[in-house]
Order: sequence, then structure tokens, then C-alpha cells
Amino acid sequence: MKKRNSILAAAVTGAFLAFGLVGCATTDEAEAPATSAAGTTETAEVLKIAIVPKAINIGYFTGWNEGAQEACAELGATCDYIGPNEITGAAQTEFINQVIQQGYDILVISAADQNAIVPALEKARDAGIIIVTSDADVAAEAASSRVVSILPSEQDDIGTAQVDWMAEAIGSAGSVAIITPANAANQTAWIEAMGPYLDAQYPNMEWAGGSLESATFYANDPTESAEAFSSILAQYPDVAGIISPTTVGVLAAAVEKKAKAAAVKVTGLGLPSEMAPYIEDGTVEKVGLWNPLDLGYVAVYAAVAAKNGTFAGATGETFQAGDKTYTVVDGGIAYLGEPFTFTKDNIAEFKLIY
Amino acid sequence: MSILRRATRFRELPVLLGLVVVYLGTGFLNPIFFSVSILNDIFFGVAIVATLAIAQTFVIVMRHIDLSVGSVVGLTSFLIGDLSSRGFSLLAVLFAALLVGATVGAVNGFLVGYLGLPSLVVTLATLYIVRGIFNEVGKGQTIVESMVPKELNWLGLNRLFGISYLFVIVVVLMLIAGVLMQRTRAARDLYAIGSNPSAAGLVGIPVKLRVLAAFTATGAISGLAGAVMLARFNSSSTQSGLGLELLVVAACVVGGVSIAGGTGSVFGAVTGAVLLQTILMAIGALGIPQFWQLAVNGSLIIAAIGLDRYLSTRLRSTNIMGASS
Amino acid sequence: MTKLTIPKVVFSWDKGVVLFLVLSIFIGSYASEYFATASNLSFVIASIAEIAIIAIAMAYLIISGEIDLSVASIMALTSASIGYAFQEGVPFEIAVVLGLLVGLLAGLFNGVLVTIFGLPSLAVTIATLALFRGLCWVILENKPVNQLPREWIDLGNKNIPGTFFPWATILVVLFAGIAWFVLHHTKLGRWVFAIGTNPVASRFSGIPVNRVKLGLFVFTGFMSAVAGVIYTLRFASASPDGGAGYELSVIAAVLFGGVAIAGGVGTMWGVLAAVLSLGVIKSGLQLAGFSANALLVVSGGLLLISVILPRVTEFVRIQRSKASTIKRTQQKEKERVQK
Repeated sequence: MKKRNSILAAAVTGAFLAFGLVGCATTDEAEAPATSAAGTTETAEVLKIAIVPKAINIGYFTGWNEGAQEACAELGATCDYIGPNEITGAAQTEFINQVIQQGYDILVISAADQNAIVPALEKARDAGIIIVTSDADVAAEAASSRVVSILPSEQDDIGTAQVDWMAEAIGSAGSVAIITPANAANQTAWIEAMGPYLDAQYPNMEWAGGSLESATFYANDPTESAEAFSSILAQYPDVAGIISPTTVGVLAAAVEKKAKAAAVKVTGLGLPSEMAPYIEDGTVEKVGLWNPLDLGYVAVYAAVAAKNGTFAGATGETFQAGDKTYTVVDGGIAYLGEPFTFTKDNIAEFKLIY
Repeated sequence: MSILRRATRFRELPVLLGLVVVYLGTGFLNPIFFSVSILNDIFFGVAIVATLAIAQTFVIVMRHIDLSVGSVVGLTSFLIGDLSSRGFSLLAVLFAALLVGATVGAVNGFLVGYLGLPSLVVTLATLYIVRGIFNEVGKGQTIVESMVPKELNWLGLNRLFGISYLFVIVVVLMLIAGVLMQRTRAARDLYAIGSNPSAAGLVGIPVKLRVLAAFTATGAISGLAGAVMLARFNSSSTQSGLGLELLVVAACVVGGVSIAGGTGSVFGAVTGAVLLQTILMAIGALGIPQFWQLAVNGSLIIAAIGLDRYLSTRLRSTNIMGASS
Repeated sequence: MTKLTIPKVVFSWDKGVVLFLVLSIFIGSYASEYFATASNLSFVIASIAEIAIIAIAMAYLIISGEIDLSVASIMALTSASIGYAFQEGVPFEIAVVLGLLVGLLAGLFNGVLVTIFGLPSLAVTIATLALFRGLCWVILENKPVNQLPREWIDLGNKNIPGTFFPWATILVVLFAGIAWFVLHHTKLGRWVFAIGTNPVASRFSGIPVNRVKLGLFVFTGFMSAVAGVIYTLRFASASPDGGAGYELSVIAAVLFGGVAIAGGVGTMWGVLAAVLSLGVIKSGLQLAGFSANALLVVSGGLLLISVILPRVTEFVRIQRSKASTIKRTQQKEKERVQK
């Protein structure tokens, strides 16, 4: 018994020694390995850019990355698409750490959690890495952790546009419900804009149950979205329309509507490749989205401009991406433009792109 | 023995009682709940979990568990859509799904049965491995409706006497499995193994073989459940099936398939799944605030487990060793 | 006669894990030049701190023959309670204490269901996993809390001055040390092993089985709460969906550390070495370019190895002892014949 214990003790001491040795040997290095020092440009150095999505297994981000890679090719930078396989702040933080450790120059990231990744981003920023958020931003209070945020359209516009599409579909009269993921910063902002807009613009439309809260159903995946659809019909059998400001939700709603041959109208933010069958057969009249490729593309340009010192992300500043110019507004955000809508007329073309 | 006593010894009584209480109670408070469309929703929505619960029963009665079912069903639902869009026939893709599921099941069964490894560990490991492989193979793609075999699409959209075909499949599967579990020697051996593993070996039951067969069957059915999943959602992605295994185990336990092994039936498993689905719909119908729903769901499952345990220990004669879980 | 003695390395899995830890550090350093830096090691330790703390309690629980799948939800509930209380104006220190209390109560709830109501722990903690997570949503709805006091966030993110150890390391070492001592050198520890090996016999020999198990569930709830505090600080926020899925990571680490799922076997060394080595391997492979998916497969593979290897060495040992018995018997026969 004693002998076994001493072997064990020796092994454990060995483990800690090994750890300590390895650690001490490199404690001389700065708190984080130095990247190509911010500000100094070395001649003909290829920029290392990390493209980090909320999760790598999601089709939407595959498109986002495509756009980013296009920009990288044009700019002559090397871009690596890395990320977690679950949408959580904790998982994404591990990849932010990887970005720091591997000495990337630039980080383009879609925030999986608007708060949880902030400490990690601040560490990256302090290590000299240029950070641009794209598609999903960090919380407003943490704006200083990134140079600029590239978002599709004004949060308000995205919200109000969907209300407009809904009004078109239901003839501007009737009750409306919403299916959305819970605790998703973007969606929360859009829905907040939807509320007062519907009340003000469409007097004959109302939120199911009388208030925005009672009309909002939360669903974080296809199964929950389908169940939310059923719950809505169960609670509000006369509901006229359902808005889903998320590609997962609007797809599930369309599937359910078709399966149940329900009369309720469906609209929201939909990926053309996924929604094409439902638009073509009339289940859904119109959905909208922006081009995720653009989000990635513009973000890389903004980041490289910042790296080269020509762009600092201050309000009013502009930068070039491709043949367009973008302006930064309050909060350090640059918007791409209006959301794009997909109907029977143009779905055939867009379903092949993304 | 009087009919009443026979009835109270009926293992599935608690869960049936629970189902009746929840359904009637909710309907009483909100008569809309009694509508046909709600019933349809329940049967339609429960099909996947019910199929997986039937499969899981084989394993749980042996005092084992299979946590890899979520990963398997997600993978096969994706695979069916993917292969189908490449032109393979329905039969071919279903066979492929069955094969994939059976292979994973066989690996599980071999490691648990022949190497004697604990099933919680083995199936947790296969959960990770299958999910990892699935993610790589899936590459972020989504299976869209056009890629779903027409027949599955049809099954998902249509009904037989008002009940979704998907649930009809569940009932048929349940009947076949139920008969097998009651009538065949091989299946009855599973109960013996779960009641007393060492004794089972001593009385001549080929334990290792039975374990291998049971896990393979579970895997195969989980593979086929991918077809049900695809028919239900008309889409699939690498997020499919995530976290499903815990729900399936809960459905089994609530349905009287005891974690301690040796008891329970596929009928109970399916009823347990239906009960959980009914609770889900009931919460929505009762207008319980969104943010309270998960908490209420958890509480009700605890109550269901408690009720099942209470009734089963009261109604069965206790043996000297006590019913330890 | 000279006996060629092959040193019988009594191979038990927990020592194997410690060796694996040493090995994994070297593998990590070899696999990627970025692995063995102070800042990366600091990150690795920070990222496993929560898992290590919960694993310490989970080890006790599994050794005693139970399990708790709701630990991640308790962790999140603690975080949600702290965030909510702080937002309502409660001083942060008090909010932390409140959070710890919530975790204790949650553990107590689990324990009561299992020991007093006799419900199976696997099934019931699947349900409380949902219940506690649900309470997070009740408390925070969909509004995470993010304006936490700067000093506390620094505590969760900075290292102990002059080292590469995050502040949380102190808690890990402290709890680990106490847990190791209690488990392997006190009566309570022996009781836990006894209960796991044979609960009925334990009860007959006077061990208060139910009370011990209740205590272990409360302990697990408390440790999950401590992890919840660390998690809140590390991510500078309290959110209703925090820590989702952590329970599987904890269980995987505990099992990899040599604790038998059937109960009655395990060491604290093994568990800690397992948690650390899993974090190290993950980091090393990730920095070497393995994708997140590949890491999933590796985690599963390691888990399998952790149970196959002891079985194999057990098999080898039995074969060896069989062989040596046969040899001895043959030798005795020879001597007898010679006489």
C-alpha cells in the first residue's frame, strides 16, 4: 500500500513538475505572444485573419465565410474559418483564445453571446488583434472591445420590414404572433422595434393575445419551433399571421403550415435555398434576408482597413469594400443596407446562391 | 384474482392514469384542448421520441442505457435526405439508415456485452463520436424538402382515420415489439438479465449474445427513426437530434420502464412519450407564460416519475432485497 | 535460481491517468508551438476550473452509486440568481452568497427526491436538469445581466500576480485537497466507498446511508454553485442558457479519471488528472489545427479507452497470474517426481 502510494505521489509530482517546467520555460514570453505589432507595417507581410462564426456547422455561416474568403482572396490575406460546433459563448471563447495564441492579426467574428465573449475579446484586443464583429454584435456597453460592427440593416428596419411583409400578406388586418429564439440579442432588438411599429402603422392589426409579450413564442431549434407553431394555433385559433425573424423558425413554420394545411400566413427572415420550395408552391409569399456573403466580405475589408491604419471605426468615418463605401454610425456600427426580399419572382435565382 | 387487483398490478397503470389526468384536466380548463387538431398534434409530434423510446426499452430492461440514439437519429435523418437527393431509391436509403444504426448499435453491444464495459460510458462515447463524424460529413448543409423522398413526405403529411401515418408506424412497431417482448424466449431473457445479471448467466442465458442483439436492435430502430424524423420536419441539419436521448430516457422511465431493469414494456414506453408530449401541449394550451414552461415541464416529469415509483412499490409485493434503484 | 522478475507494475487506471496527464502535456507541446505558452496554459486552467470543481463532488456521488445530471443547470441557476439579485440592487458579495445558497437548496432538493422519496437518481436528475434550467428562464427571462463589478470580473479573468494561474486555481486546489483527504483518509470517505460497493451491507453495518447520500447531493449542489460563481465572473455575465451541456463534460471527466459508474471505485487524483488532461489535450489538438468536430471524436475515443484499457490490463493480469500458477504447479510436480 505504501509502495503504491509513493509511486502515485512520484507520478503526480512529476505531472506538476512537467507542467511547471513547461510553463516556466515560457513565462518569459509576454502575457500573450506578440502579433505583428499593431501600427507597424512590415513589407509584403501576409495578414492572418481568423473568421469565427457562431458555429461552424450552420449553412448560413458557410455562406458568411464564402463572402469573407472572397475578400481575403482579393486582399491577398490568409483566412482561416474556425469555430465551435455549438452556439454558446463558452465554446466560442475557446476559439478566441486560439486566435490569440496563434498570433492572428485580425479577428472577424459573429458573437455567439453578446456578453460572454467580451472578456476574451478584450484580451484579444489588448494583444493587438484587430477585431470586427459581423452579423451579430457584442452588447452596446462593450463596443470598445471591437473596432466596428458590420450589421445587415438598422435593427429597427429589420423589425419593421417584417411587419410590413406580414401586413401585405394578411391584408393589414388580423392578429399576429411571433416565433423567435430566446436570449438572442439580434432577435430581441428586432422584436422590440416590431411592437410599437405595428401598433402605430396598422390599426387593424394587433398582437395575438393583446400584447407583444403574449404574442411572442420562444423556440431555439426546429423541434421547438414546430411545437411553438402548434401552441400558437392552440392558444389563438384565429391568428392571421406568424412572423419568425430567424431562418430556423420561419422554415419550421412553413413546414408546419403546409403539413397542417393551416390558413395562417407565414413570413420572416428566411434563407432562399431553404425556403424555395415553400415560396414556389405558395405556402409562403415573401420572406426576406440580406446576403450573408456580403456581411463576411465587408467585414474583412473593414478589418484590413483598420489594420492598415486608414480606418478607426469612429462615428462618421467611411471605408471601402469592393465598389461600395460604408459609413459608421453611432455605436460603431456600419450597415449594409435594406433587407432583400424573396418572392416567386426572384427565388429561382437566389436559391442557388445562398 | 379480482379484476380490480389485476388492474392495479398493471405496470403501466400510473402512466395511463397520468395521461388521462393531464388530458382531461387541461381540457377542462381550456376546452380548445379537446379538439381533434390538438390530438393530431400530439400524435404527430410524439412519433420520433416514441419510436426511440420503443428502441430504448430493449436496452433499459437489461439495466443498460443507450445515450447515442440522438446522434444516430440525427445522422440517419440527414443521410436519408442526402442519399435520396443523389438518386438512391427509397428502399436503398432506408436500408442504409438501418445499416448505420445497426452498426453503431452493434459496436455498443459488443463493447457492453463482450468486453463488459458500462453502457453509460460506452454510449456516451459513441454519442460524441457519432456526432463528431456527423458534423464533419454534414458540413453545415441543410436537407431541404426537395431532398426528402416523396414517400416520406407523403407519410408526414397524411393521416389514416385522422391519425398521422407517423404515429401509425409507431403503433405498428409497438405491437410487433410488444409481441416479441412477451412471446419470444430471446426477449424474455432481456428481462432476466435486467433483474439479476449474474443469475441470468448461471441459468444458461447467453447474456453476451442477448446484449449484443438488443443494442443492435436499438441502433437499427434508431436508424429507421431517422426516416420518421425526416418525414416529420421535412428537413434535417447537423443540429438534428441534439439532446434527444435524455427526453427518450425520461419517456421510458415515466412509462414504467424502470432504470433498475427487469420491468416495463414498449407499451409503457410509448405511453410515457405520449404523456410527455401531452404535457408539452398542455402547458401551451393553459397559457402558462413562456418562460415558465421548462420549469413546469421538469416539475411534471418529476411528479410522473414519483407517481410511477409510488404506485409500483405499493402494488407489487416487495422482496427481501428491497427494490433498489 | 535467478528469477527474472518483470517488475509487476500494479497498473490501476487512476495512476494511468496521471501518467496520461504528463504525456498529454508533452504531446500538446509537441503538437503545437502555441500550446506551451503562459497565456495559453492560463486559459486552459481557467477553462477547466468549473468542470474540476463540479467533478470533485460528482466523483463522490458516483463512487457512492448515484449520479446527478442537473449540475450544469444548478451552475446556471446560481449564475442567474447572482445576476438577478445584483441587478435588483443587492451588493455583489451578498448576491454571491445568495447564489451559493440557491445551489445548496437545489442539491438538497435532488437529495431529498432520491433518498427520501426513493426516486432513481439518473431519471430524477434528468427532470431536475429541466426544472432548474427552467427556473433560470423564470428569473432572467430573456434579459441576461452584464454590468458586473469590474473588480469581480478581473478576479474571474486575471492570473495570480507573477504566475500563469488564474485566481480560480486557489479554489480548485483548496477543494481538491480537502476532498482528497476526506475521501481517502477519513471514515466518511470509507463510508462513501462502502455505500457504493454494497449499500445493503453498509446499511446493516450501521452506516447512515441515506444521510450520507443526502449530504453528497447537497455537496454536489454547493460545488455546482461555486462553479456557477466562477462561470459568472469568467464570462462577465449571467445568462439563462449558460453552461448548457457541461454535465456531460463533468461525467466524462470523472469516468475518464477511473471512477467506476457502478460505484465503489475511484480516486481524487485520477479525477483531477483526468479533468486537467482532457483540457490539455483539447487545447493542444485545437491549436494543432484539429476542428471542433475532430475534438468531439477524440473526447469519445478517450472515454472509450479509459474503460477498455483497465479491462485489458485486468485481462493481462489474470492471464499472467494463471500462467504463473500453472508454472508453479508444473514445477512442484517436477520436484515431486524427482524425489
